[in-house]
Amino acid sequence: MSGLHPYTQLALATLLPALAWLVPGPRAPAIALAAAVALVLGTPRPLRRLAAVAVAAAPFWLFLFLLHPPARAALVGLRLTTLLGAAAWVGALLAPGRLVEALVARGWSARAAYLLGGTLAAVPLVRAHARRIGEAQRCRGLATRGALVTRLRAVHALVLPLVLSVLHQLDERVLALETRGLGAAVHRTPLDPPADSPAQAAARWGAAAACLAALAARIA
Amino acid sequence: MTRLSLERVSFWYPASDRPALCDVSLRVGRGEIVALVGNVGAGCSTLLCVAAGLAPRVTGGRLDGRVECAGPETAGGGRVLLLPAPWTQLSGMGVTVRDEVAFGPANLGWPLERIRVAGERAMARAGVADLADRDPLTLSGGELQRVMLAGVLTMEPALLLLDEPTAELDGDGAAALWAVAREEAGRGAAVLVATSDLDAVPDLASRVVWLADGAVRADGAPAAVFADDAIWREGPGGPAVADVWRAAGLAPPWPVSVTAAARAR
Repeated sequence: MSGLHPYTQLALATLLPALAWLVPGPRAPAIALAAAVALVLGTPRPLRRLAAVAVAAAPFWLFLFLLHPPARAALVGLRLTTLLGAAAWVGALLAPGRLVEALVARGWSARAAYLLGGTLAAVPLVRAHARRIGEAQRCRGLATRGALVTRLRAVHALVLPLVLSVLHQLDERVLALETRGLGAAVHRTPLDPPADSPAQAAARWGAAAACLAALAARIA
Repeated sequence: MTRLSLERVSFWYPASDRPALCDVSLRVGRGEIVALVGNVGAGCSTLLCVAAGLAPRVTGGRLDGRVECAGPETAGGGRVLLLPAPWTQLSGMGVTVRDEVAFGPANLGWPLERIRVAGERAMARAGVADLADRDPLTLSGGELQRVMLAGVLTMEPALLLLDEPTAELDGDGAAALWAVAREEAGRGAAVLVATSDLDAVPDLASRVVWLADGAVRADGAPAAVFADDAIWREGPGGPAVADVWRAAGLAPPWPVSVTAAARAR
């Protein structure tokens, strides 16, 4: 799956939640969720990702069951969890650099492509930065582990420096990217555009057609 | 031949009434290395941003005066700025160091073969050829800064702007970077470097520009600029060798490098 063209990965990640939301009844979201879980199981460290999906979905399920009848709550919960599962799958596989290469190869400007890919690329950078801030704060005596109350108390000491430093880094990153020609008025050379195939293109069109058909059936 | 010319340049950041640069005039010629020194907040980084064409175009703000840079902007021979912190310069687009180094010339639309050749050469010069297949996110700060240096060298700049480039480097790494700066000047590039590594300045630069509160306080040969007592009292000081001479109560001009001190003895 990691060798698929980024467009195909995105199409598949969009197809599952789209069908889960558009097709009436609980069967489609259940199948879509099962498919999303199966996809996540094929990624590196799958149990960790599934646990993250479960943790993210849990509050939604809780409030859905508090606010809606059980059948309705389960239906919406399945749909939301499918969305989170598909996002976890594509987040694990989609390399920002490959996405940018694919977009540039299709004629997008480097700046517009970077706007999309750079957002994804920032995730590991911010995560690494947050880890460094956490280590620095622990060196200064802040307790960030242990009981939930202790962790909650530490949040503001971690979040504030993270937000401020990310904003500062954003300024510097813009300068660094501009000086390396991101805003140049020429078309970027694709270095290693991801391979595509007629079968993948057909699958993407098929996914789009399935979504449109489901939408049409829903409206009718 | 002048590569960079600043004529009476003043610059204000957005929402600031106080100029970050004040009536600065400066010329840097082909093959010349000029060192910018000053206290924190003196305006060295701002001057580099102005010289790089990033201020006010990217930073916003207002600029008075004239900035001219000779050399084409997009086909190599342009101006490139290396910032002090390597983490903020990562494009995030490169799975490997080789991809990261190729980011700049790819943006300039160079043909693939030229990018590959220039990239391999730049990585070798920056001493990161053995890291070519590594993930940039797994590198140390010093390794990453050398990768960023390779990234700017790949673009074959006519004007190389360095902002505290040795901040993440150890002694050997700093010496290697200064050697690369001298090579760049040797191939005809103009090099403007803001640094607090004052011991390196006399052997590196033919001229020193002392900035204070955004204005040029002194501009001349290292020995002449560091012979002024004012730079020791109100500015960043000078090389350690000269400081020893001063502390001993000897009269200026003080030697500014170990070689000059040996000769003076």
